Amino acid sequence: MAGRAVAPARGGHRAVSLLSVAGVTKRFGGITANREIAFDVAAGELVGVIGPNGSGKSTLFEVISGFYHPDEGEVRLDGHRLTGLSPDRVCRLGVARTFQKLRPFAGLTVVDNIMVGALTRTRDVRHARERARALLERVGLGDKAEAHAGTLSTGQRKRLELARALATEPRVLLLDEVTGGVDQRTIPGLVQLVRELHAGGLTLIVIEHNMRVITAVAQRIVALYLGEKIADGPPDAVTRDRRVVEAYLGQAYAAPAPAP
Amino acid sequence: MSGATAPAVAFFALAALAPVVVRDAFLLDGLVLILLWGSVAAAWNVAGGYAGQVSLGHSVFFGLGAYSAALLGTRWGLSPWIGLAVGAVLAIAVGFVIGFLSNRLRGPYFVLATIAFSQVLLIVASRWRAFTSGSEGIAVPFRPGFWTLGIADKRVWVYLILALAVGVYLVQLYLERSRRGYQLAAVREDEDAALSLGVPARRLKVAAIAVSAALTAACGALWAQYVGFVDPFYVFSVDLSVRFALGAVLGGIGTALGPFVGAALVTTLETYLRARFGGIGAGLVGIYLIIYGVALIAIVRFAPQGLVPWLGARWRRPAAGTAR
Amino acid sequence: MSASPGAAPLLDVTDLDVAYGDFQVLWEAALRVGEAEIVAVLGPNGAGKSTLMNTISGLLEPRGGRIVFQGERIDGLPAHRTAGRGLAHVLERRRLFPFLTVLDNVLLGAHNPVARPHRAETLARVEALFPVVAARRTQLAHTLSGGEQQMVAIARGLMARPHLLMIDEPFLGLAPLIVEQIGGLMRRIRDEQGIGIVFIEQNVELALRLADRGYVLESGRTILSGRSAELLRSDEVKRIFLGDLAL
Repeated sequence: MAGRAVAPARGGHRAVSLLSVAGVTKRFGGITANREIAFDVAAGELVGVIGPNGSGKSTLFEVISGFYHPDEGEVRLDGHRLTGLSPDRVCRLGVARTFQKLRPFAGLTVVDNIMVGALTRTRDVRHARERARALLERVGLGDKAEAHAGTLSTGQRKRLELARALATEPRVLLLDEVTGGVDQRTIPGLVQLVRELHAGGLTLIVIEHNMRVITAVAQRIVALYLGEKIADGPPDAVTRDRRVVEAYLGQAYAAPAPAP
Repeated sequence: MSGATAPAVAFFALAALAPVVVRDAFLLDGLVLILLWGSVAAAWNVAGGYAGQVSLGHSVFFGLGAYSAALLGTRWGLSPWIGLAVGAVLAIAVGFVIGFLSNRLRGPYFVLATIAFSQVLLIVASRWRAFTSGSEGIAVPFRPGFWTLGIADKRVWVYLILALAVGVYLVQLYLERSRRGYQLAAVREDEDAALSLGVPARRLKVAAIAVSAALTAACGALWAQYVGFVDPFYVFSVDLSVRFALGAVLGGIGTALGPFVGAALVTTLETYLRARFGGIGAGLVGIYLIIYGVALIAIVRFAPQGLVPWLGARWRRPAAGTAR
Repeated sequence: MSASPGAAPLLDVTDLDVAYGDFQVLWEAALRVGEAEIVAVLGPNGAGKSTLMNTISGLLEPRGGRIVFQGERIDGLPAHRTAGRGLAHVLERRRLFPFLTVLDNVLLGAHNPVARPHRAETLARVEALFPVVAARRTQLAHTLSGGEQQMVAIARGLMARPHLLMIDEPFLGLAPLIVEQIGGLMRRIRDEQGIGIVFIEQNVELALRLADRGYVLESGRTILSGRSAELLRSDEVKRIFLGDLAL
């Protein structure tokens, strides 16, 4: 039922598009949060999404995961139309996500939390529990199995949310902020975890504010600003892109330095 | 997930043994009512506790069950068992509508909508003299026999309602342990997060409400036969709805045994106070509110999760060394 | 219009450590504001800018470090105390009382015992600076546009007769024209009333064109500080916001 993504294609030109976002426009009253956003994600790619506050990154995730229906445009997974489907249907088709503001099921134990995800792929409660325990180990929460999710630290909650989404055996995983709000010291561990998942063949789209992290991890970066896509390419090119620099810092930084 | 089923077994075993040792009709009557109100509270718990859909309009289902049994019995001489089935079906229909609303309305607005339903049916039942005998209510005929639920022996009633109670208890237990149970718990905690994990939250909520409705209606039908009289102002009242919810809340919303314990507490208090102070009407209504108020305050203050979890925690404390 | 080198600073924050429970968010943060100076606090998301401001005004308590305001230590003082000492804090997203009138909102700014006696006089001064307050006195705050709300919020801050005005993201969600207006008003407050201003801003260039000096925070630490002219175009700033590959 749930397929794992194929191994990442090198080079990318001939890569098969797994997820495609085409002409997505989303308006809220007078504000256009997403304007004709379009990009493809190849199977096995790790794409970063960056942009200053208010550029439409979260809205884009909400549209892809089915929580918002776009006013125009569509999202397809392996050719299959996702737009217009309810979020649970989108998940069952293979797109999972985490939330920027973490949402653990606080009253349930850690293992139970992950089981909810696992039960989307299996009817057997026992099997789901085994799968959950395996994922717990995978993300490094092995000793917290029976703890109530509400008692976890931020970093642990991030891992829980990750494990929970992974339990649904996604083909594409949307990560909304991996390093936001966590203790500095735990960041390398989280980054390593994301790297491992990617190395295992998972296709990832990651919203991230920490530039150091995303430029180190992503193969490709899509930059948004005021609802539009302003850049799409390898990390070094995008972070030097004049429009991106201008968006984050202002024209003064984008302009070439005056001759000495 | 609530662990030990031992207390539940003890509870039901005690109830099963009671008729053997107790002969007093008054006490047996009390037991029947405890089990009945416990069953309704547990039926409510399916929607309110397990699915997190707090409704204060469940009397609409109860009344549908009661009226179905009574009307089909008096007008067409049909067996109350058929009345029960019809009532359950009608309740499921109404349940679907309310379930639909639960996906459109949040929190207090949903609660108000549920209250509205019960009040609408109250008005219909109390005004439609041609069909329902209006505000006078319906006297349920007593025709001896099991098929007609004309049973004089209280002890038989105890076992009958006990079977119902165990049934509803098992439904709750299933909800706790099963795949659907985990999914419902997730919906209850955070619906959007549940959706993002592939849980069909909307369908589940509607299904939970429908099941709850059917079970509540069944209780209503049996109650009508037991008590022998259906009064629209009682069966569709908000008071009754609150009582269902209260039993579950006081006993422990997240547990299968909780509603029975909570209902036992409320019913016992109520029966005692009625016997003690006697009389009917406004004075009695006032007493109920005082009980409710005091019990609520006490539970919220000392045992906010409900009696069953509170007792459970105290039970386990001596065994502090053993991990769960 | 900046502080003379020898003068004691209006606000001097050093070695500030702030944590939420076990979770530390600021490490040895530093900030200095002189009399009649505009200072910008910049940094990527989650750098700790709001946390710093909230700790200075007393909404949060620091674990360590010093906050010296007008020569006196105020670290650990709760917010309602700092308000009476000449420090005003305009919160992110304005936080006006939506169902109170503009006038009520503004007058509440003078609630503390030091400002209260001079309320009428301060109100006149404030209305001269912000005509919108007089024009919309009886309107409920939530009916105002974003720009108008921001002006009312700053006006409310000024009612406390502060020597230092702290504003968290004054330009959030506002049209460029309004941003210009408010920027101009901030300069006027500095020049005409000698009030120091510290503000947090996402847009780096905008902030540095307005401010005299700036501080850049990253991951809870004060990484850079300097005169605006130096920070503008700085490669370091680029690196902080866009990572090492940007250079």
